[in-house]
Amino acid sequence: MAPATANTKIEDQEMLTVSTSRFGELTVSPDKVIHMTSPFLGFPDSKNFMLKPHGKESPFMWLQSLETPTLAFVVIQAAIIAQEYAPHIPNYVKQELKASKDDQLEILLILTVPKNDLKKITANLLGPLVINTKQRLAKQVLQDPTIYDACWPIFK
Amino acid sequence: MLILARKIGEAIAIGDDTIIRVLEIKGGQVKIGVEAPAEIAVHREEIYLKILEENKRAAHEAPADLSALTSALTENRQTGKK
Repeated sequence: MAPATANTKIEDQEMLTVSTSRFGELTVSPDKVIHMTSPFLGFPDSKNFMLKPHGKESPFMWLQSLETPTLAFVVIQAAIIAQEYAPHIPNYVKQELKASKDDQLEILLILTVPKNDLKKITANLLGPLVINTKQRLAKQVLQDPTIYDACWPIFK
Repeated sequence: MLILARKIGEAIAIGDDTIIRVLEIKGGQVKIGVEAPAEIAVHREEIYLKILEENKRAAHEAPADLSALTSALTENRQTGKK
């Protein structure tokens, strides 16, 4: 999930302008847009997102909806906070995301950050976001609830 | 909503390749067998509702500034399993 960098291939592509409630107007190159092969449960109208790093030194990123200005999730690479996390990704999901190899897939976790107590931040291990970084396709893939929790505290 | 009465062993076909069969009825609980293609996700409804609820909570809470969390994060390592 590298932030947008200079890329000769995109030079003649027009940047998209996105209005957001948190960040004002953002621009994104069309080839950085992430398309949900099925939308997040609860947000059927948002199918395209962009990743916005929180800051240079921060592992947190924003997953901002391109269709809904107010919709943005805080996300993080799963490996950063849960090294042994190994969600099950069925073959049909790999096909849906057009991933021929597992190493094309990246796992992001959606974080719930309470406004009044940041330390009570939790990660949703039950519904990780699986992204094919090359094809820019993504899907929230439900896991076994006896193994993984939807509100897993990331601080002990 | 389509409502169908079924006895033990009877089934409902959805499309060409999904069968939902009543296997057992005991003490207010029904055991249901689902035969569906691998690409059809079959889950208990509660899991969908839980994910939906958590998605809404995550989207609703999300504050703009997370700087305070960044340093604390590197000191904490967990496995993720229950």
